[in-house]
Amino acid sequence: MIKRLLAATGIATLCLMSAASAADKVEMWVRTGIGEAFKKTVEAYNSSHENQVSMTEVPFSELVQKYATAIAGGQAPDALSMDLIYNPAFAAAGQLEDLTDWAKSLPYFSALSPSHVKLGTYQDRIYGLPLSVETSVFAWNKDLYKKAGLDPEKAPTTWDEITANAEKIRALGDDNYGFYFSGGGCGGCMIFTFTPLVWGAGADILSADSKTATLDTPEMRKAVDIYRNMVKKDLVPAGAASDNGANFLTFTSGKIGQQSLGAFAIGSLVTEHPDINFGVTLIPGATGGTSSFAGGDNFVITKGTPKMAAVKEFLEYIYSEDGQKMMAKYGSLPTRGDIAGKVLEGLDPRLQVGIEAISVAKTPYTLQFNDLINSANGPWASFTNAAIFGEDVDGAFSNAQSEMQSIIDSGQ
Amino acid sequence: MTGSGSKTLSPQRKRRRRSGWRGLVYIAPAMALVILFFVMPVIFTGWMSLHNWPLMGGTRWIGLKNYVRMLHDARFLSALQFTAYYTIVVTIAIFAVAFPLAIFVEKQRRFVSAYRTIIFLPVVVGLATASLLWVWLANVDSGFVGPALKALGLVDKSPNLLATFDSAFLTIIIMVVWKIAGFTMIILLTGLQAIPADLTEAARIDGAGRWQRFRYLTLPLMRKTIALALIISVTGSILAFDQFYIMTSGGPQNRMISVVYYIFNQSFVSFNLGYGAALSIALLAILVVLSIVQLWLLRVGEERP
Repeated sequence: MIKRLLAATGIATLCLMSAASAADKVEMWVRTGIGEAFKKTVEAYNSSHENQVSMTEVPFSELVQKYATAIAGGQAPDALSMDLIYNPAFAAAGQLEDLTDWAKSLPYFSALSPSHVKLGTYQDRIYGLPLSVETSVFAWNKDLYKKAGLDPEKAPTTWDEITANAEKIRALGDDNYGFYFSGGGCGGCMIFTFTPLVWGAGADILSADSKTATLDTPEMRKAVDIYRNMVKKDLVPAGAASDNGANFLTFTSGKIGQQSLGAFAIGSLVTEHPDINFGVTLIPGATGGTSSFAGGDNFVITKGTPKMAAVKEFLEYIYSEDGQKMMAKYGSLPTRGDIAGKVLEGLDPRLQVGIEAISVAKTPYTLQFNDLINSANGPWASFTNAAIFGEDVDGAFSNAQSEMQSIIDSGQ
Repeated sequence: MTGSGSKTLSPQRKRRRRSGWRGLVYIAPAMALVILFFVMPVIFTGWMSLHNWPLMGGTRWIGLKNYVRMLHDARFLSALQFTAYYTIVVTIAIFAVAFPLAIFVEKQRRFVSAYRTIIFLPVVVGLATASLLWVWLANVDSGFVGPALKALGLVDKSPNLLATFDSAFLTIIIMVVWKIAGFTMIILLTGLQAIPADLTEAARIDGAGRWQRFRYLTLPLMRKTIALALIISVTGSILAFDQFYIMTSGGPQNRMISVVYYIFNQSFVSFNLGYGAALSIALLAILVVLSIVQLWLLRVGEERP
């Protein structure tokens, strides 16, 4: 009897133990604003696998400092969807797991988005792999175009045209507005949607080696004028002046005629706001040309996590055709070049514009991205607000130029 | 002579020594808490401030360089300036509202406890919660203030209160007064109630008017209470952070960065923990000096002047 009891408890314990070791729970953080793509992929993974991924959304403006403090405090999640521009800084600090050997053993390694892999590489070792790709594009609301007597199928190609269209849409009255942007000190939103005006015209805000701030150019002045003019003519809702990014997707309200947004937003619009009839095109430059911001996230693994195997299994699922298709459906462009065509097959054709944008897109490379650009109190964020909404444009230019330069210099 | 003198003194001294030890035992728990949660962190912060201490990676001893950097840091100086401006404005505003309220609710009248409760209610709301509430109230499209002004026909277009410095600052001041004045009122009320009624009676019999009684009787007798309320208000204002972080994210064009906000940015946005620690020590020194000055100005501790 006792023997049988012992055997039974033994088997029960074994079962419990194997259950515990078989189903790992991976803690993962993602930033807000990447849309539904990743959330849906996690749901699909959890319902088809024994290992589970528990996802926590962290406000995009706080993700970096939260992760850094969590690492310092030993409370970091196993893996993180990290805005790829931060990848070099965290790899340099020695906080991420080295993925080189495993990554190179993946049969499709050479087909992974090269710019992501480049930013994930530090001193020839790989610390981050592409998770999501997104580019910024220009969207217009076809229904509002029609109401305003414009041709809903004709994409605007210059900012003069966009301004003229905005005026006609504003003339519809009520709370219909011609244009929108998050101008209340949202550095991330503005680098994403506003700098393409400057890049398209051939200028940049930092020198090629990122050691000189080159904010005050005729191209930037022209771009600021375009936005100022639209604000002055009341074509932009008053809330834009204090929107710190929380209302970035105001376009989804259906009351905004035109807005620059990202491929993630295309996914959200298609899947969650099917009533909004919109078109997308490349963002025109301030004086001609087109451009876009190529961004997205890398998948990084916190150094020393005990759940490496489970994390790798999850990442391999993301790279599978199912995973890629799920991501793409909600607006994250394929990270695997070799099956991109197959993945996008049958999906919304507007996502194709997001792919086209990659060829004209730029990504600024600087270790001080947070201080310079993304921080709500950084020089770029306050510059965009001061130059577009403020009284003193020249002062805004000179202040931001000197503050950016001093941040760059202090980091050397 | 000396022998007998020491003989008579010694039991007394012994008793005093024993009671000294007993006193120490009594305050030991409090001392332990203060040492553990105040003294040691301050010492550690001081130690950190002498290093280049990034959030991730190694630390490096740099002596007083963080303190030298502070003197030339234009953003820190403007944060100090803004904090001083905010402290002065908000303290005056709080007292201007709280003092009349205290006098109003001090007298026994009908529903006085209802008044007291209503005025005190906002105090129990958290500052962050109150800030969020007011962000909504001030929202240009879906809020209350702007659309209400428009509905009343006072303005043509709903104003975006948080978009310009003046209106955003005014909104924050009104929010803080709404939130804090009740607390200051309660402190002042206790001071008012501690004034013996016969003194006021005597002054009235002597022919002192309402203003004279307030100026020469109430105010001097409330010196200690005012000092307490003033120090709490000034300290709280200098340490202000939540309202700027939540309501304006540092305000239109970074014009509402308070000192604590700047310390937060340096420590957790730019990851310069060492410099943040140095700024915190500087802020601590400023607070200590200000409190001493206030206590001296109001001559607390002395008996009558």
